[in-house]
Amino acid sequence: MNPNISSRTLIFLLSSIGLMTLPHVLHVPLPLISFFFLLLGWRFIGIFKPAYLPSQIIVFCLLLSGIGLLIFMHQGVFGRDAGTAVFITALGLKLLEIKSERDLYLITYLAFIVAASQFLYLQNLFMAVYILLVTISLLGTLLCINSGSLGNTASIKKAGSILLQALPLMAVLFIFFPRIEAPRWSFLQDNNQAITGLSDSLEPGSISQLGLSGDIVFRAKFTGKIPENNQRYWRGPVFSYTDGKRWTASRNRRFKHYLDKVTFSGEAYHYKLLMEPQAKNWVFALDMPAAFEFPLHENGVHQLLTSKSFSQRAEYPISSYAQYNTGYITKVEYRENLQLTPQPAERIDELVAQLGGFDDDPEQFIKNLFQHFRENKFEYTLMPPALPNKPIETFLFDTQAGFCGHYATAFTYLMRVAGIPARIVTGYQGGIYNETGKFIEVRQANAHAWSEVWIQGKGWVRYDPTTAIAPERINNDVNIEQQISNNSISFAPIQLDSQTVSLLKSMRSVWSSMDYSWHRWIINYNRRNQLDFLSKLGIHNILSLLYWLIGSIAFISLILAAYLFKKDRIKRDKTQHYYWQACQKLVPLKLIKAQYEGAEDFAKRVDATAPEFKAQFQIITTLYIQLRYGNIKQQKRLIQQLKQAVKQFKPRGV
Amino acid sequence: MQDSIRLHYRRLYILPTKRGMGFVALLVLLVTIAAIYNNNLVYLLSFLLASIFFITILHTVKSLEGIVLKKGHNPAVFLGENTQNQLILDNPTNTARFSVQVNLLNQTPQIIDINAQDKNSVLLKQITTQRGWHQSSTLIIASLYPLGLFRTWIKPKLEFKTLVYPRPSANSSPFPSSHISDDAPADSSQGQDDFYGVQSYQAGDSPRKIHWRALAKGQGLYSKQYSGESRANELILDYELTTGADSEQRLSQLCRWVIDAHQANIPYAFKLGSLHLDTHQGEQHYQQCLEALALF
Repeated sequence: MNPNISSRTLIFLLSSIGLMTLPHVLHVPLPLISFFFLLLGWRFIGIFKPAYLPSQIIVFCLLLSGIGLLIFMHQGVFGRDAGTAVFITALGLKLLEIKSERDLYLITYLAFIVAASQFLYLQNLFMAVYILLVTISLLGTLLCINSGSLGNTASIKKAGSILLQALPLMAVLFIFFPRIEAPRWSFLQDNNQAITGLSDSLEPGSISQLGLSGDIVFRAKFTGKIPENNQRYWRGPVFSYTDGKRWTASRNRRFKHYLDKVTFSGEAYHYKLLMEPQAKNWVFALDMPAAFEFPLHENGVHQLLTSKSFSQRAEYPISSYAQYNTGYITKVEYRENLQLTPQPAERIDELVAQLGGFDDDPEQFIKNLFQHFRENKFEYTLMPPALPNKPIETFLFDTQAGFCGHYATAFTYLMRVAGIPARIVTGYQGGIYNETGKFIEVRQANAHAWSEVWIQGKGWVRYDPTTAIAPERINNDVNIEQQISNNSISFAPIQLDSQTVSLLKSMRSVWSSMDYSWHRWIINYNRRNQLDFLSKLGIHNILSLLYWLIGSIAFISLILAAYLFKKDRIKRDKTQHYYWQACQKLVPLKLIKAQYEGAEDFAKRVDATAPEFKAQFQIITTLYIQLRYGNIKQQKRLIQQLKQAVKQFKPRGV
Repeated sequence: MQDSIRLHYRRLYILPTKRGMGFVALLVLLVTIAAIYNNNLVYLLSFLLASIFFITILHTVKSLEGIVLKKGHNPAVFLGENTQNQLILDNPTNTARFSVQVNLLNQTPQIIDINAQDKNSVLLKQITTQRGWHQSSTLIIASLYPLGLFRTWIKPKLEFKTLVYPRPSANSSPFPSSHISDDAPADSSQGQDDFYGVQSYQAGDSPRKIHWRALAKGQGLYSKQYSGESRANELILDYELTTGADSEQRLSQLCRWVIDAHQANIPYAFKLGSLHLDTHQGEQHYQQCLEALALF
C-alpha cells in the first residue's frame, strides 16, 4: 500500500462504496453481492491491519473466482443484470489493489457506474435522493485526496456545496440535452419483464406492471366531433369464461350468426384509427363500432379484428356511436355469461343480498354496489397486494385495493352471482388529445378493463366499476404520467372522522403530488415530452436548441462565477489597520517591519534602535497581540485603546 | 521588479488533468448507458457529474485567486549550498486555501494549506553553481483543488536574486604572515595573546590550541597560532597573498581567511582588487568582505 494514501481517505472511500452498492442487495444474486462485501470488508480491515491484506497470488485467485462466479451466474457481459454484476465484481476486486492515487480515482469512477446501474432497477424518489447523498460522499473522497488539512465534515460540506451549485446546470442539461430513442438492442435487454399491453386473458392480480408503459398503441384522428374523456372506451377482447382465476374469451365462435342487430342512435364519431405495430390482430375501435371497411371484421362480441398484417402500422377508417342497443342475446350467450366458478362463498352471497342483488332491479343493485365500493374505502392502486387464492373474495373483503382488472372481475362476478349476465371487456380508456395533431393518442398505459351487463331492453350496457373508486381515472384528462404516478395512490374518498386520518391523508396527498411531479417531469421526460416542452419554449429546431443550451449554461455560469469570485470582502480588521498605521509612522526612522518578522521581534528591534519610543510602541504591540491572538472578550474596548495609542504615537515629533 | 504579486484569475492557466479526462470518459459511458436504456435518472446522474466537472473549473481557479505572493527572507549563501528563498503566500481573503503546490521549475512541488486571513511560507531551495548573483528558476504555483479534475497554474514573474559567496576553501591555511612585522622571533613570541591563524598540527602542540572547529568540520587537525596584541592590528587579508591555480581557488582561500578571522574575532583589513577595507571587526565588516568576494 502506498503510504501517501491516508487511512482517512480510505475509510471515506470504502464507506461511500459500501453505501453505493448496498441497494444492489435487492437485485444482484446473493453469491455475487456477498463476494463483493467480503472483499470490501477485507479491505476495510486492511486499513487497520495492513498485514492481513491479500498477497498478489491470493488477489489473482480472487480474480479467478470472481470471473468464475460471473460466468456461473450470468451468460455474457451485456445487459442490465450481467453488466451490473460485472461492474460490482470489478469494483470489489479493484479495492484490493489500491496502489496509487490513480487507483482511488478509478474506484470512484467505477462507483459512479454502479450508482447509475441502481437506476436501471429502481427509479423512485428515495433512490434518487439516496444516490445523491452517496455522490456527495464520493466527491468528499476526492476532496480528501486533494486537500491536505480539510476536515471530514468540512470535506462533506464542501462536496455538498459543489453539488448544490451544480444543480441548476444539471437541470438545464436535463431539459435541453436531446433525447435519442436509441434502438433497443436485443442483447442489452433483459426479458424478465413482459412487454405491457393486453393479453388474451385476464387475471385480477397478474399484470401489476400494466399501465407503466408509455408505448403508443394507436392514434385516432377525428373528423368532426371528438368524444369526451368518459366516452373514450376503446374496445378490445371480451372475456366471458372464467376458471375462478383466469378470465378468457368465449370459445363459441358461432355467436355472430345469431346476434341481434345493433341499433345505433345519437351522433356518430368518424375517425381514422392509426394502429402501431401490434402483437395481435385486434383493432381497438371506439365503443361501439358501427361502420368499418375491409380488412376489418367484427366478431361475436363486437370486437374489431383485422385480417391484414398487424405487425406493421396500419390505418383504418371507422365510425362509432356512443349510444347503442345490442338487443337480445341468445340462450348460449345468456348461459355463458352467467357461468360461475367457483361457487360463491357465503359472505359473497350475503353481500349480494345485502346490496339488493336478488331483487328485481339490476340497475339498483349496480348503484348499490358502486356505493359499496366507495363507502368501504376501496383503493385504486397499480401496486396491489398479490392475490394467490380466491382472488375475488380476498379482494372484496380483505385487501380492498386494486386496479381496473380487480374491479372489473369482482363486479362481473357479483353480477353473475345475482343472476345478471355480465362479462369483462378489456381495451383502452382515455387517451390524450393532441391539439397540434388533432388526434387522440392512446398508450399502453391507458389499458383498461370494464364490465358489460346485459339488461332487458337495453342489451349489453357498459359499466366501469373503476369510476366508483377513481373517477379521476375516467373523467379527467388522464395522461400516462398521471397514471404512472398513481402507482400506489389511493383514491379512496377522504373521510374526516379524526384529525390523525386527515393529517395522514394530507401528508399522503403531498407525497402523492410530489411523486406525481417526480414521474411526470423526471422519469417520463422522454423524447416526446421533451419536444412538447421545448416547443412551448419556442424551440423547434436543433439550432435554436443549441442557442438555448449555450445561452442558459453561460447565464448560469456567469451568475455562479460572480457569486464565487465576488470580492471576498477583505475586512482587514481594524486591529491590523491600526497596527499598520503605527508601523507606517516608524518608516521615516528607517524602521520597516519585514514581512516575516513577528510583532514582538519587531518591537525588540524598535527598542534597540529607538529606545525613546519603547514604552509607547510596547503598548501598541501588546494590544495588537492581544487582539490578534488572545481570547477576545472586550474586543471593542481594546480596539478603542489601540486606536488611541496609535493616535498618540508620534515618533516623528520627538 | 515586483516584490509582491497578487494572483489574478485572468492570468491563471487551467487544463483538465489525466484524471479529468478519465472523468470525461466516465461521463460518455454514463450518457451511453442512459441512452441505451432510455433512463432519465441515469441521464440526470450524468448531467449532475458533468455540471460538477464544469463547475470545478471555477473552484479550481478560485483556489489560487487572490493569493498574494511576497518575497520573504532571502539570505546569501556560499557556493554549493542551497538557496533559502522564503516565499510568503498571503491569503487576505476569507476562504482557506488547500493543497497549494509551490515549486521551482523541475522540482517536486511543496504542498501547503493557507488559512483564511493568514499567511504561510515555503522555502525554495536550489543548489548554487556559480558565485555572484543567483537567479532562481521559474516559480510555479499550481492547484488541483477541489477534485483533482483540473490543474490550474501560474508562473508568476517573481525572481529571487540570491547573493552567492565563493565556496570557502576546504583546508584552512594559516593567515598570511608576510605582512606581520618581524619584531621578534616568530616562535618565541607566539604566546597566548591573540589568535592570528592556524597551522598544521605538530606533535607537542597543546591540546588547548587545537582548532576544534576545523576538526569538527572534518578539515583535519590544526593548531591555532596566537600572537601578542601588538600584532593584532596587522592582519591584512589580501587577495595577492593567496595561492591557488585560478582566481576562484584564490577567492576561496581568501573567503576562508575572512571566515576564520571573523569567527576568531580578530580585526582584519581586506584587500581585493581595487577594494581596500581598513582593519575592522564585526558583522557589517564581515558582510562587506563576503559581498566583495561574491561580486568580484
